[in-house]
Amino acid sequence: MITLEGVSVKYRIVEERRRSFQAHVINYLKGKRVVKHTLWALSSISLDLGEGESLGIIGSNGAGKSTLLKVISGVIKPAEGLVSVKGKTAPLIDLAAGFDDELSGSENIFLNASILGFSRREIEERFDKIVDFSELKDFIDTPLKNYSSGMIARLAFSIATEVDPDMLIIDEVLAVGDAHFKQKSKERILEFRNRGVVILFVSHDMEQVSNLCNKVLWLDHGKIMMTGETNEVIPEYETYQSGRKRDENSSSPLRKLG
Amino acid sequence: MVNSLGEAKEIFRYRELLRNLVSRDIKKRYKRSALGFLWVMLDPLLMLLVFYVIFSGIFGRSMGNYSAYVMSGIIMWQFFSQGTKVASLAFLQNRNLINKVYLPKAIFPLSIVASSLVHFIFSLVPLFIIILSSGTKIGLNLALLPYVVGIVFIFSFGMALTVSTLAVFFHDVVYIYDVLLLGWMYLSAIFYPVSILPQKLQPLMSLNPLYHFISLFRASLYDTAFLTAEHLVLGSAFALLSLSVGWGIYYRNRDRIIFYL
Repeated sequence: MITLEGVSVKYRIVEERRRSFQAHVINYLKGKRVVKHTLWALSSISLDLGEGESLGIIGSNGAGKSTLLKVISGVIKPAEGLVSVKGKTAPLIDLAAGFDDELSGSENIFLNASILGFSRREIEERFDKIVDFSELKDFIDTPLKNYSSGMIARLAFSIATEVDPDMLIIDEVLAVGDAHFKQKSKERILEFRNRGVVILFVSHDMEQVSNLCNKVLWLDHGKIMMTGETNEVIPEYETYQSGRKRDENSSSPLRKLG
Repeated sequence: MVNSLGEAKEIFRYRELLRNLVSRDIKKRYKRSALGFLWVMLDPLLMLLVFYVIFSGIFGRSMGNYSAYVMSGIIMWQFFSQGTKVASLAFLQNRNLINKVYLPKAIFPLSIVASSLVHFIFSLVPLFIIILSSGTKIGLNLALLPYVVGIVFIFSFGMALTVSTLAVFFHDVVYIYDVLLLGWMYLSAIFYPVSILPQKLQPLMSLNPLYHFISLFRASLYDTAFLTAEHLVLGSAFALLSLSVGWGIYYRNRDRIIFYL
């Protein structure tokens, strides 16, 4: 379903980004050239994920986890390498990005589902199910600005998961809303996994990763540190992390003295 | 070229999103005002009033139907200028979405120009009222109207792609374009006849696409004297040129946009 071959993504970090013509012209006349550093957010990542597999992506902040998700969902085109993704993708990435405050809940369902690439007919077919799952029937004609953040998250979750995806992309947020809805959304994701939907899950919570994923990819500074079965990778990762913490603790008194 | 066609197909695949973006835009713009949609019609009428009071004494005498002349100029100008002005921010304002979900990005400038088209169609109502009440008959030349609207739409979309893509890399483009529009308006023969310009400058008007569009618009509405082969050929050529340039700039840079938002 997902095949990545030698995928690399680079960000150009410009020393001071010049966004005005004036700054460009002045600096050009002064003979200054823009200093650019290249940061490889991902370098030579290869991975192969088939039907029914769920992959946890772990690593410290800035390791490239979210960039990897963006490559797979097509937001970013890699500088090098091949990406092949088959099937329909449902992104659960910062769920509310596609909403509009001033529109009603039902208008937002149409807007958000069409952002995911669905046709009018497909949305109409799923509309009632989306409303039912979100438990927002009484508020569906109310503008979104009067919703609580939990309600918005519930609506977004319901839309993204009611579209029969072949692949689910989850960035941190596994469960949303109150305790009851959290349970419900967890169950739905597990149900997806049991049905054979491919799941990509970025998280810092090793317990959640162990519960949901059969494979784990450990990223560090854009490179794969380790990849394999969940019960092999996670202990290694935790040992590495606690080792790092020990180093920091043992060196910190010295740093204070210095 | 083949890939470029693929991008166009992607936009077609997301046509439901296009529809939703346009209807959201229209709903939001008029939800809060008491007069709602009436404003679309009142706005050009009020502008007409201003121009009429100030200029009809100066230019009106030498011209047949001055109010139809000014009104058609205003409406066509606004279709183009409002659409492309708002569209210059198309990528910058939707950076949240572009950063998170895959979309054919050109759908944003396209939807803004399409909203502007909807407003334009509504503002035809007061225009027809003005034309008919001044005693001019609307004739077969009205069949030209869809073609004129089509080429202005294509021209505007090309311009919107150009400005919105460049604005991602240089924010100044937004302000420069604003100023450019202001000057451009005065050069487009909206409220004065071309004949008042110095003889030497008159041929230069043919370099102004909007002059051709507005003339063709007038021809389709109330006076076939405005219909010339020059307007038709150059107007169409400018539309195609604008689309190829805009699409080229967008297409070459579409994968870089995300790194600059």
